[in-house]
Amino acid sequence: VAKKGNKADREFVSEAEEILETMRARLADLSDRLGAGAEADPELVNALFRAAHSLKALAGMFRFDPISALAHRLEDVLDGLRLGRVALSAPLLAWIDETVALFASLLGQVGDGTALAESAARIERLTAGVAELAAPAAPADEFDSLDLDANVLRALTEYEEHRLRESLRRGRHVALVDAPFEIQTFEEGLAELSGALRENGEVLSTLPSPGDSLESQIRFSLLVATDLAHAALAARIDFPGATVRTVRGGLAAPAAVPAEPEADAPASFAQRAEGERSPSDGTPELESLKSISDTVRVDIRKLDDLMNLVGELVIQRGAIGDLIARLSERSETARIGSEFAKVHKALDRKLRELQSAVLEVRMVPLRQVFEKVSRVVRRLRRELDKQVELEIHGADTELDKLIVEALVDPLMHIVRNALDHAIEPAAERRAALKEETGTISIDAFQRGSHVVIEVRDDGRGIDRAALRRRAEQLGRIDPGVQLSEKETLDLIFLPGISTRDEVTETSGRGVGMDIVRSNLSALGGVVDVESTPGRGTAIAMTLPITLAIIQSLIVGVRDRRFAIPLNSVLETLVVEPSAIQISEGRELLNLRGTPLLLRRIDDEFGLVAGARAARPCVIVIGIGDQRVGLIVDRLECQQDTVIKPIQGPVQNLRGISGATDLGDQDPVLVLDLSALVEDALRRREAA
Amino acid sequence: MSAPTGAWEDLARAAGSRRESPAPAEAVRQLLCVRVDGSPYAVPVENVREIVRVRPITPIPRVAKEVLGVISLRGEIIQVLDLRLRLGLASDTPTKAQRIVVVQADDGRVAGVLVDGVREVLRVPESAIGAPAAADAGIVAALCTHGTEFVSIVDPQRLLEVGGHG
Repeated sequence: VAKKGNKADREFVSEAEEILETMRARLADLSDRLGAGAEADPELVNALFRAAHSLKALAGMFRFDPISALAHRLEDVLDGLRLGRVALSAPLLAWIDETVALFASLLGQVGDGTALAESAARIERLTAGVAELAAPAAPADEFDSLDLDANVLRALTEYEEHRLRESLRRGRHVALVDAPFEIQTFEEGLAELSGALRENGEVLSTLPSPGDSLESQIRFSLLVATDLAHAALAARIDFPGATVRTVRGGLAAPAAVPAEPEADAPASFAQRAEGERSPSDGTPELESLKSISDTVRVDIRKLDDLMNLVGELVIQRGAIGDLIARLSERSETARIGSEFAKVHKALDRKLRELQSAVLEVRMVPLRQVFEKVSRVVRRLRRELDKQVELEIHGADTELDKLIVEALVDPLMHIVRNALDHAIEPAAERRAALKEETGTISIDAFQRGSHVVIEVRDDGRGIDRAALRRRAEQLGRIDPGVQLSEKETLDLIFLPGISTRDEVTETSGRGVGMDIVRSNLSALGGVVDVESTPGRGTAIAMTLPITLAIIQSLIVGVRDRRFAIPLNSVLETLVVEPSAIQISEGRELLNLRGTPLLLRRIDDEFGLVAGARAARPCVIVIGIGDQRVGLIVDRLECQQDTVIKPIQGPVQNLRGISGATDLGDQDPVLVLDLSALVEDALRRREAA
Repeated sequence: MSAPTGAWEDLARAAGSRRESPAPAEAVRQLLCVRVDGSPYAVPVENVREIVRVRPITPIPRVAKEVLGVISLRGEIIQVLDLRLRLGLASDTPTKAQRIVVVQADDGRVAGVLVDGVREVLRVPESAIGAPAAADAGIVAALCTHGTEFVSIVDPQRLLEVGGHG
């Protein structure tokens, strides 16, 4: 788009496209909710409103007047929606949809004056169309029945008033929570109380309260809408001095339809004008400048730098902890040691908050990746002339930006394979008594500290016999060797099996799955495959949520130490050597009736210096649906670790994903569990 | 970030005191001269990132024996090579004079290089630099004459080419 345009145009287009992307996503959520008959989430409407507002300001700044004017119109409509002046309806959504589509086409014409002028008619038509839609949802005045001071009602902004009205209509309980706060720290206190209330409902408004209070204190009242009855809400608010007063009890069931419209506007409307805080009420430029955008674009490298700084702080903290331990050991310094420990603990807490805040910033939803995939599917579907539906669930699941970036190619690869090879042509599907339209679904969800992304198709499934033949041809397995179902399927991850011949034609899979596996393994993830002939295939990718700072288990193996990322540790056991059994040369442990394959870290790495412990520890590792027990000699501690890449001449250290400094300048190697588990299982296949 | 050690400043002073020797018009190269098994070796100073005292080295498994392991430089994890082993000599017992020279090759790769000791920074005219003694000199790229002494100049690129398995 606008490649020929100048730099400013390109900049505008790229930013505007980002805004449109947001709009489309929010709009999709909104129509889902409308479809499900649910209440229009005010946050969604607000987000859309902000996006339209940003677009207007952006287009204005770059002097693209038609875009700015249309955005202004959209902003008006959305403002009406968020204030309850306009009712949410299917035609309204269709109108917004069309407007967003028009924006997209206008962006394509940026830098092309005549085309822009030609679009004017379309803008005109849309602008005219909205007038019919904007039928006001006339409010009924239910405020008379509320046990609420008139001063409070007067202080509400139009938006707050609308939310109150909406809450009443939904039959929610409305309560006024009043509490005193120390003036010095009232912001924190207020944030804490609001946070607690938000977990249980919606905070409609926060107002200074005139109630009695000590001189050093200030009182606030929070107007809250909740599904909880008075007693339940009061029980959940654990805040000193807070009182809960019911303004109106909830109704057993939400009011079905709003009460009859009343001709006159309620009295409070007349008085609100000065308290109005809505950004679209035509008030000064200053305000609109402030709210051009509520997001900041940041170079990911800057976040990396920030992360590294936090990482160094974490290391320093570890060093301080060691010093404190030494102070506390000696009786003459024990007292100062314990004082020091208190300070250290507070520092520790703040550092943890900082850490998670920085991590949070790096997290992005999978939505953008999924939208890319969905565009490719639409295109391929046309090119290949196949009937395929793509279903996406869990697009809001969040992952570290870097992992999301690295995930695009493997995911695209898997989906493309499914579309290209797994889903049969319509005629073939008909003959197999399947729906003519094939389905590919992508599900993303969080499981503990991992995210699972599963791609499922209802195509022909993997032809195990062909896969096996191909592996034998390549000399990857010996003819006649016994393989379990799973072991056979795992052959698709062998390198070279992917050439587009026999397997591809008959089973439709295997193009570069070895690359997919190794890419994911580099991120500390794994890929699992399941397939039923004639029914379809499911490929699940399991990835850690972040790579930046992780909790690790520090273990001792002979005279060495290693770090094991805790997010893959299922449990740790201390076992008697006699409990370790041997079958076909492999060590096994009976873990509650299931055989657990064991690997000794010292054998793995050829470590011989130092003695083994008399009673070894078994660390049960789970990655995806694979389980392996690692045998180590000691469990030393659990620590936050910043995994750093190992720099130097030797790359590809199999089984080692990096190293970490725990603060004693003596680096500890971090085990690459995906690789270790994979090697252990591969060796089993080879055995 | 603290300065690595005082070693650099000492060396800079040493280099300054010799400034008068080469003719001013001629191109001069600065080389960090180190001692290995009694003989002088040198690395171009532009490839030297810093010089640090020997600190705990964590061995890494399944690598060539000249890769001693990794050290932590303010949280950065860097492999350390033993220059003795890299030159095909026997390794030595640790001494106080030993240093780790952090070398960065032109392609950006980094490694710590363990040497018996750091001597000085040499400023030598291009004319004093010639071909190495042996045609197949391994990591030595050139030989320079310094007074009566021959100093072997190590090629950082080749120095950092080490196989994965030894």
